[in-house]
Amino acid sequence: MKNWLIKKKSGLFCEPGNFYIDPIRPVDSALITHAHTDHARPNNKKILATKETINIMKIRYQDNYCKTKQQIKYGEKININGVHVKFVPAGHIIGSAQILLEYKGEKVIVSGDYKRRYDKTCQPFEINKCDTFITEATFALPVFNHPNDKIEVKKIIDSIKGNSDQVHLIGVYALGKCQRLICLLRDLGFDETIYLHGALLKISNYYETEEIDLGSLKNVTEIKDFKGGELVLCPPSALHDRWSQKFKNVIKGFVSGWMTIRQRIKQKNINLPIVISDHADWNELIDTVKEVSPENVLVTHGREEALLSFLKKKGYNCGSLNLLGFEDEDD
Amino acid sequence: MIDFSNLLDNLLLNSSKKKKIDFLSDYFQSQTQQNKIWALSILSKSFVNKLVKVKDIKELLKGKVDEDLFLYSYDYVGDLAETFSLLWPKDNSKIINSQSLSSFMSSLEKQTSKDDLIIFLTNHFSTCLPNEIYTTIKILLGGLRVGVSNELLKESLSKIGSRSKEEIEENWYGFSFPYNGFFEWLNGESLPKQFNSKDLFHSFMLSNPFNENLIKKIEIKNYTCEYKWDGIRGQITVSKNGKIYSRNGEDITSSFPELKIKSDKVSVLDGELVVKKENTIFSFNELQKRIGRKKVSKKILSDLPVHFICYDILFFNNLDVRKLPFFERRVFLQNYIKKLNHPNISISPLINFVSWSELRSIKENSFNNHIEGIMLKNKNSIYKSGRPALCWYKWKRDPFLEDFIIMYAQRGHGKRSSFYSDFTFGCWIENKINTLVPIGKAYSGFTNDELKKLDKWVRDNTLERFGPVRSVKPGLVVEIAFDNLNFSNRHKSGIALRFPRINRIRWDKPIEEVCILDDIKKLIN
Repeated sequence: MKNWLIKKKSGLFCEPGNFYIDPIRPVDSALITHAHTDHARPNNKKILATKETINIMKIRYQDNYCKTKQQIKYGEKININGVHVKFVPAGHIIGSAQILLEYKGEKVIVSGDYKRRYDKTCQPFEINKCDTFITEATFALPVFNHPNDKIEVKKIIDSIKGNSDQVHLIGVYALGKCQRLICLLRDLGFDETIYLHGALLKISNYYETEEIDLGSLKNVTEIKDFKGGELVLCPPSALHDRWSQKFKNVIKGFVSGWMTIRQRIKQKNINLPIVISDHADWNELIDTVKEVSPENVLVTHGREEALLSFLKKKGYNCGSLNLLGFEDEDD
Repeated sequence: MIDFSNLLDNLLLNSSKKKKIDFLSDYFQSQTQQNKIWALSILSKSFVNKLVKVKDIKELLKGKVDEDLFLYSYDYVGDLAETFSLLWPKDNSKIINSQSLSSFMSSLEKQTSKDDLIIFLTNHFSTCLPNEIYTTIKILLGGLRVGVSNELLKESLSKIGSRSKEEIEENWYGFSFPYNGFFEWLNGESLPKQFNSKDLFHSFMLSNPFNENLIKKIEIKNYTCEYKWDGIRGQITVSKNGKIYSRNGEDITSSFPELKIKSDKVSVLDGELVVKKENTIFSFNELQKRIGRKKVSKKILSDLPVHFICYDILFFNNLDVRKLPFFERRVFLQNYIKKLNHPNISISPLINFVSWSELRSIKENSFNNHIEGIMLKNKNSIYKSGRPALCWYKWKRDPFLEDFIIMYAQRGHGKRSSFYSDFTFGCWIENKINTLVPIGKAYSGFTNDELKKLDKWVRDNTLERFGPVRSVKPGLVVEIAFDNLNFSNRHKSGIALRFPRINRIRWDKPIEEVCILDDIKKLIN
């Protein structure tokens, strides 16, 4: 990366193209990798993103989602002041993209957040060659080896069977994790109605308009009295909020890559830890860098030091980009 | 072994006491005698491995995991056993069915040299699941940190047999590995023949903290007042062997030979160990030099002689006086100490008072480097282990409060792992306000929300990293509370604070307003 892509207070800035990528405060022109709130923020003048990202921003921010918008399809090429821009799937959540930039023959990929596992709710990560690869580092420690999704989801089903007198309250991120988990449950034959916190239902309804079938869902408010054995999904923040006090006799679960670590489980007061992540684990991060085989690697948000130390020993030219404003502890 | 691993996980992840007791009693009810014995010795911390240390466990990963990656991982995870278990290379084809806790422990015990044990562990780790690796390391290094005290263990054991918690308490220290006859006794059989009840440690009676609301609740004339001496609590058993026990029941006789007293009749004294020479009680720092020694040199015996200030008596010449009220025990104690006439043993004097305001002033004026405040004891209270309500109260002198500047931060362990929660604070060396000197470390005193803010502040203000430690830009002032302070040549600043903790975070206070080292030194009397 030469001098045309720089770190500014508002985030990563492309000088010749005069746009930011995932800016942390409102700017004139922003390219958005995906709709998670730490990457897609409201009140930008102009945004360029995939259809799904734009739609979800609209649901979340309503009138403030932006002044003007431009949709871009995966694989479509756009020229912005001599900078060639292309969005390709990142496999993170619905509509998530890596942004490929090419300027004067030099190629940079801003990969945003990504994962490499199969996820029914989004298109898989696509490998593209480039000179500089900017990677996230959320789970960049060799202690993170995400287990098989199915084994983890089965723990929820087994726990419901074994503790049918208890309500299962499971914390999931409203966008992406929630719908992926529901699909995994349905694939394993769990046909019961799943009760959702309002915040999750809004996004899940949107998924259904994108023809992702989530089965029978109901708003938690539709039921007065939970008898036990029900599965309720809510945002992680609601797990220990006053909201959750209406459930008596409850098992609390949390679906996140952090649930690998016992002390995280304890810190969050979780009885049923489920390790499913929408980020690449250690081996997947390393394999991705190998497959992309860039000349330079820049590492941002997460446990950068370990990945940098590893890549340096492997002979990569790499450095820390250290973009601020991304939620380190959230999955 | 997987059952024991699961037990440890359940204990860690469920903080409710009731649930912990359920998990423990379920485990003890469902396991074989051999497994129970081992589980009990591990949970009660009586199993101790002396062959391998932290360093040896780390060594096992050499050549298997990159050293830097190990350090980053360990720093993040904050627990060696867990880091190790997640990093140990897995080979699913080699994993064999879990063996029982007892068969594992007996093979472990057969390894008599460090080298043998290392080979044994390497093989074991390659054939078991990460959870079992974790458990193995926890067993070897101690420090389970699953929130199970011996009290909780005793309570759980009282659920599985016919013995009450009090009965278990009374005989607890008479049993040790391999707990011959213990589980049978729990089920109602009599105590084993070889059971020695003479030299037993008796759990201490402890106090509850005093608060001002109690003034309305309790009757002042029912209470006596003593100083709260700043030493370590100890129990002298006068018997055929003569023993001294620490607060946890550890035999510390060899560290304090001056206090070993033999007699045909058993008497048990409760009191405070301090260092006292020529009528002067030394600071706690001096006492620390006497703790943990297996042999005590003549020089130390003469430079730092230990003294026992008696609070109470449990047995008086074979007579159990614990059920007598405090004021009657006190008479027995006075008689006993008088007859004993030992130069290193005295009685903790009662202090006269008539009103709460007088008590308050006794407490606040008790400033001395070996007194922490006062104790109030109900004249009618029997001697009962634990912290019975309405019996004994500790009323500590208000702590010192001083503002200091955060200089370094380190990630915490246990439930605070990954958060920067251990802080080194300091103050200016001189009036010029350009050089800081570290004064002490504080780990506690903040809420979880404050911890998150502190953690973020550290990350945003890091100057340099030295392994797990970050130095930070001088910018954040914290008000530190501490119970006492003393000169110390172990510290660069020349002073040592007793039990420093964060009292308030002064987000708005400018660092220029923090005191200089000489101001702190002036506080020492």
